[in-house]
Amino acid sequence: MSWDVSRRVFLRGAGLAAVGVGMAPSSLLVRTAQAASGAKVLVKVFLRGGADGLNLCAPYGDSEYYNLRGGIALPRPGQAGGVVNLDGYFGMHPEFAPLEPFFRDGRLAFVHAVGNPELSRSHFDAQDFQESGTPGDKQTPTGWLDRAIAQIPGKEVTQAVSFSSQLVRSYLGPEPVLVAQTLSSFDLRARNWRAEAETLLTSMYQADPTQVGITGLETFEAINTLLRAPTPPPSNGASYPNGNTGNALRQAAGLIKNGVGTRTVYVNVSGAFDTHSNQLNGNINDYRPLGQALAAFATDLGGLLDDVVLMVTTEFGRTARVNGAAGTDHGTGYAMLVLGGRVRGGRVLGRWPGLSSSQLYQNRDLAATTDFRDVFQEVARAQFGISASLFPGYTPGAGVGVV
Amino acid sequence: MPTPETLGPRVALHLLNRAGYGPRPGEIAGVLDRGPTKWVEEQLEPGPDPELDSRLAAYNTLGYSTSQVLGLYNADNRTIGTILDHFLNAKVVRAAHARNQLQEVLVDFWFNHFNVFVNDGFDRYSISSYERDAIRPYVLSSFRELLGKATLHPAMLYYLDNYLNTVPRTQGGRQVGGINENHGRELLELHTVGVDAGYSQTDVVEASRCLTGHGIDNVGQTGNYVYRPATHDDGSKQVFGLSLGSGGGASDVERLLDHLAVHPATARFVSKRLAQRFVADDPPEALVSRLASVFLGTGGDLREVTKALFGSAEFWAEAFGTGKPKTGFEFVISAVRAAGGEVQNPRLVRIAIQDSGMPLYACNPPTGYSNRGADWLNPSAQLYRMNFALDLAAGAVAGVSADIRGLVRGGGGDPESPASAADAINRVVFGRTLTAASLAAAGRVTTSSGVSVSARVAGLLLAGPEMQVR
Repeated sequence: MSWDVSRRVFLRGAGLAAVGVGMAPSSLLVRTAQAASGAKVLVKVFLRGGADGLNLCAPYGDSEYYNLRGGIALPRPGQAGGVVNLDGYFGMHPEFAPLEPFFRDGRLAFVHAVGNPELSRSHFDAQDFQESGTPGDKQTPTGWLDRAIAQIPGKEVTQAVSFSSQLVRSYLGPEPVLVAQTLSSFDLRARNWRAEAETLLTSMYQADPTQVGITGLETFEAINTLLRAPTPPPSNGASYPNGNTGNALRQAAGLIKNGVGTRTVYVNVSGAFDTHSNQLNGNINDYRPLGQALAAFATDLGGLLDDVVLMVTTEFGRTARVNGAAGTDHGTGYAMLVLGGRVRGGRVLGRWPGLSSSQLYQNRDLAATTDFRDVFQEVARAQFGISASLFPGYTPGAGVGVV
Repeated sequence: MPTPETLGPRVALHLLNRAGYGPRPGEIAGVLDRGPTKWVEEQLEPGPDPELDSRLAAYNTLGYSTSQVLGLYNADNRTIGTILDHFLNAKVVRAAHARNQLQEVLVDFWFNHFNVFVNDGFDRYSISSYERDAIRPYVLSSFRELLGKATLHPAMLYYLDNYLNTVPRTQGGRQVGGINENHGRELLELHTVGVDAGYSQTDVVEASRCLTGHGIDNVGQTGNYVYRPATHDDGSKQVFGLSLGSGGGASDVERLLDHLAVHPATARFVSKRLAQRFVADDPPEALVSRLASVFLGTGGDLREVTKALFGSAEFWAEAFGTGKPKTGFEFVISAVRAAGGEVQNPRLVRIAIQDSGMPLYACNPPTGYSNRGADWLNPSAQLYRMNFALDLAAGAVAGVSADIRGLVRGGGGDPESPASAADAINRVVFGRTLTAASLAAAGRVTTSSGVSVSARVAGLLLAGPEMQVR
């Protein structure tokens, strides 16, 4: 790793000098909150494991879909367990039914046949390439979201939040990130001597110039921000499902409503998307809480959804044909879901490559006709006004018109 | 600047941190008495550990076969909770208390290399057998043997769907079954030659064909390995430089494993992962090459490769570096050990490990948990680590008793004096590596109310930056 740690130290140090750990005057925080209201937010939801685009957004109008998929094809709209019709040709997975109103009112779109031109059917490589944004190059020291937030003013640790158990590759780099599985009870537990423990531990971590020291100071900064702005309850009757995805999106909505300067949120979803076997059951178990959580998120935010673009993505699609175990193996093109008040929704975007043998990539996978970087850049441009390429060695095209 | 007084303890601390889960009080002196080289030699020949055996005696299901576990579960489905509790608790107790620390670290490393996921259906019932029968006996054996045991254990065959990987065939006029690439791909990518070895999609399919027919006799009842000739693809195969004629049957997979186990790409891939775990996140190329030569020269003898690792200048040089950040598991266990903690009930320790982002045996993807320390640094995990350390020192982790006053007295310190207590803890479990800033901070604790001086001092030092690295 070769990013400039000293720069990060400097920025963190500067932030501490201005705010003072544990002593942020409330007026300063109020100003931060005011400045943040109306600020645009990008949310990336990553379905880890290679989510099958052909059953997420099924081309039920293409008879090849039924030939290829056999027993794991989703029935046509109106049949038992059938897809939710989108445009007369594509239908979304029935567990996404709670999202139908947002598609109908134009705030939800799908982009189909998205992918990675530098093919990798390895989970790890494909995830790495997608999150670094440099397919084929494993040496890129930063993630694409780190490069994006470097161009956004403000250095609060809550500016970039990741609901995951580890720092995700998209955020790798010098910008501070709050990585958390949950933000509730985010406080030091030292009964009777909490203030003393915080002061002394802070002095210990301040003396450590390595990433360990930096992380320690970010922790105290996050504690102090979050203690002063606890997550508000869901609004507008939004009801989040139990589980990691629902919890993460509930807290993401809370951060956005709180105005603590959050500009990017990453939600890691580690379900059973790697459906090598018994795919129909696996998809239901994963898509049910996902559909409910996304619908709750959109409901909860109300008018603030106008400031948000949420995109659901994965590392690769899956084989077009069903395998020997009622599942599918690692493939290429996949489907993205894009949700937000200013999304040009109600449509399935992207160029559909078709499913005949000659149209499949290597006679096996849905081909990728839209480079994922075009969509990522399009969203970053709309939300943050970033026009310079976020992807070294690549000039993104105009995008697919999703925002 | 190291001096003769600090050099030895620093080196001993380094060894205990890397070859084990960190020092218990007195162990730094023990390594110095014995001599670091001798200590490593002993760890490479793990002997009996009756004290550990007696700690584990209450977990009476640890030796159960998968068939036994399934039988008990089918009679009463509540039993699996107890059986898994035993298995998970044993992981904590072994790491915290085993004399053969290196063996425990290696079992952890190799399990993670051949990862399976405890919450994956059948693996709940077979994971105990998997670690006990396929991993633990072979961590200082030949790589080929370990690879063979892991590849064909029912837990792996289930996790990577190979029990469903069959030659496509016709039954009653209908085509059934077919190739499932999951296991074939991960065998190449994660278990042997590595993703950059240059194999193709065709190699993935051909490796998968070798694996057809190797499955599980009955997933719900007995859970034993079985080879079914009728579902094996018995045609000829070409896999990454290996040619197999038709009619090989069950030997196809053995020949494939023979081929992969001593492949130069495997030697490099395995050596790099070992060096990453034990030496540095980005290990020196010269070290990786040297270990790979030992691997190839010994036909993949893991004891020899491990020995070469601990004999390397690169390993010892790390004693004077900035350290490698601990994983959540390493942090929590090392804190228990440093506090001289006795684990009677590991429940809260397991929760702390989980909160640190590393639930035991619950890494869903086949990549296993990251061996890079830097990947485990983040504010959320950091907060859980600090809170665990503060609780532990204050005696607030139920099920773990830690005599902090005894720890301080053992180092010749005064438990009522902050500076003296900090100095003693620095000597006993930090090998005198604490920074002036940390010693000064610990020296400033007050005695206002509630938590004692020694608990505050120990809490700060166990929660502090030096404790986050190994």
